[in-house]
Amino acid sequence: MTAGTVAIRIRGVSHQFGEEGDARHVRALRDTSLDITRGELLCLIGPSGCGKSTLLNVVGGLMAPTTGTVEVFDQKVAGPMPRDIAFVFQENALFPWNTVFENVNLGMVFQGVPRAEREARAHRSLEAVGLKDFAQHYPGQLSGGMRQRAALARALSLETGILLMDEPFGALDEQTRMILGEDLSVLLSRTDKTIVFVTHSLGEATFLADRVAVFSARPGTIKQIIHVDEPHPRKPDFVTSPKFTAIRNELYGLLHDEIRKTIADTGVAAAGPAR
Amino acid sequence: MTPSRKERQGRLASRAVQATFLIVLIVLWYLATTRWRVSPLLLPNPVTVLHNFWDILRTGEFIGDLRVTLTELAAAFAIAATSGVTVGYLISRSQYRIRVFEPLFAGIYSIPIILFLPLYVLFFGLGPASKIALGATISFFPIALNTIAGFGYVDKTFVVAARSMGASDYQLFRHVLMPAALPIILSGMRIGFTVALLSIIGSETIASLAGLGHRIVHLAEGMEIARMFAYIVFVVFIAMILNTCVSVLEARGKRF
Amino acid sequence: MALRRAMRRPWVARLAVIALLFCLWEIAARWFVDPMFLSPPSRVFMSLPAVFETRGVPAALRLTFWELAVAFALSVVIGLVVGLAVGLQPFARKSFMPIILLLYGTPQVTILPLFILYFGIGPASKIAFGVSHGFFPIIVVIVAGVQNIKPILLTSARSMGASRWLVLRHVIFPHMIPSFFAGMRLGMTGVLLGVLLAELYVSTAGIGHFTTLFTQNFDPTRLLGLISVLAAMAIVLNEIVRRAEVHFGRWHAD
Repeated sequence: MTAGTVAIRIRGVSHQFGEEGDARHVRALRDTSLDITRGELLCLIGPSGCGKSTLLNVVGGLMAPTTGTVEVFDQKVAGPMPRDIAFVFQENALFPWNTVFENVNLGMVFQGVPRAEREARAHRSLEAVGLKDFAQHYPGQLSGGMRQRAALARALSLETGILLMDEPFGALDEQTRMILGEDLSVLLSRTDKTIVFVTHSLGEATFLADRVAVFSARPGTIKQIIHVDEPHPRKPDFVTSPKFTAIRNELYGLLHDEIRKTIADTGVAAAGPAR
Repeated sequence: MTPSRKERQGRLASRAVQATFLIVLIVLWYLATTRWRVSPLLLPNPVTVLHNFWDILRTGEFIGDLRVTLTELAAAFAIAATSGVTVGYLISRSQYRIRVFEPLFAGIYSIPIILFLPLYVLFFGLGPASKIALGATISFFPIALNTIAGFGYVDKTFVVAARSMGASDYQLFRHVLMPAALPIILSGMRIGFTVALLSIIGSETIASLAGLGHRIVHLAEGMEIARMFAYIVFVVFIAMILNTCVSVLEARGKRF
Repeated sequence: MALRRAMRRPWVARLAVIALLFCLWEIAARWFVDPMFLSPPSRVFMSLPAVFETRGVPAALRLTFWELAVAFALSVVIGLVVGLAVGLQPFARKSFMPIILLLYGTPQVTILPLFILYFGIGPASKIAFGVSHGFFPIIVVIVAGVQNIKPILLTSARSMGASRWLVLRHVIFPHMIPSFFAGMRLGMTGVLLGVLLAELYVSTAGIGHFTTLFTQNFDPTRLLGLISVLAAMAIVLNEIVRRAEVHFGRWHAD
């Protein structure tokens, strides 16, 4: 378990939706290459429609890229790899007819975890996200923040080496985001998981990431990578430090033009068919 | 959004399957009656059915029965619509009345009211009156229920806004309640119309001296199966035309 | 006044309305309408035992109930199988749903004589007609239910390595349960309509035989009695499926 080895190798990935000439043709991603180190938290940030989520789906094997390859732990990605990669989505992906505990358990059923281990793992991950007392609740009975904690617990219980998170806190209010961000940082300092985290929020990226990959406007490619040199777990007062502000400003500078370009091109700031 | 090439191919394929299905059905029908010796009393030759169909149209034999059925339908629907909307509106005026009557109506509507046909026949006889009465009874409920829903559940915000701008009762009705309730009421009317048509054909089938439903039964009893098939096609056709007209009217009325 | 206060509860008012209607019926039947055409509720109620004692009536009621039960069971099975087969396969759905909807929209009562022709005048035709009314709504509701599954749930399951069978068992089936129970409720309404229509049309041993008998004999008392019993049966059956839907058909605190 040597830090410094490459967990995810992305080479020349580009992706388009639809055929050339179709009304809905979209070039989402353009020639993206990146190495993600084991144990690091990498944030993908960029304007709407720049292909961050597309890249995440390609890395996770949910989508085959038009060109390029992805290797995860030296294996070529050809489909979902549930033993190595777990997802946390923005949308509520918990099954509403199951309790929180049953949801976490079901993830392990899908992955193929033997029955004897499931209960212990479920309890551990629920405790880790602070939902121990809500295990028997249904998602419909929980707040948005708690639902995302449950989704995270489900992903954690799969004990994968890689966690892919697609704007997991995007639907939540700012205060919940702050708390969840802090808790995530604490959680991650205890594990050696490799995390790829897509976000729109500059503050969130700066607070959580070891590196931030800034995307250009569509068709997106990595414009620049910013390093955040601060050990995990990050304290709440990191947010008010000058280092934080400097990094955040740098991100803002890089992004601002891209965002303007996106709005000018599409006429709308909202997401297109792919993000 | 213009469909992609793949979508267009998919849609074409589905249409092909549907067309093939229809063609295979007709071919089987034809073979069954000509090659495979199925009794013409059970399944008439499709060509014979077609001949009967043209004959019925040409001679205008259908006119008498069609007139009876349509008159019954018009009368039943007229009664149901006027009483349904009026009663529905009156009930919708108070929450209390809604809570009393709405479950009552919903409960009555949930049982098959056609069950009361023998009663209506006993009371009104075998003539059109019993069909109209039963049709009106059955058709009343969806119209009344939808009218209650339409007027009763208008967003309070609209009412408050109008009142705050000084709207009178009449203005409120005409400019807020009516337009807000109209789509739901029109839906109710469409359902009421469909239900009235079904109930009238049904009661004509079971106990009647005239009308399209009766004609089909008469032909069945006389073992004139080919002609019966032709009439069935005719009635289905008429029903489709009526339902399409009603749907179009509903859509027209809903366009804001 | 205590009555005023009691009337404030809607269910009390509802009972009062029903009671009022019964009173009007009683008055009209006793003093205004020829007893050949209408019978007051008091007399109907008193004669109920006589209805049951009429030879063949209890057997007819049992037969009708059996027809309803069989028709409902068949509708559910056929509806479920066809609904899932069409709903789970997008191509099948796009091809066959328009045909199914077209058939669903045609006035089936037109072909009632055909059903009798093919299935005879015994219980088989009643069951068949009931099934043909009952399985359409079940199919339609189940197909709609399958289409309604949020794609994110399927993606999520796939990302966790679920096989097709596991997805069917743990995602699609549980998702379908509310739709299934709603479909059953509509199916029951359809089955009631179909079986009773067929019975009223022609019946040798079912309740349709007796409704015709009582009508022809101008016996509104017994006719009303019989119809009331049938209406009660219909209400009870509807309530059962409705309760089942409420109890099993919801995902807690949605």
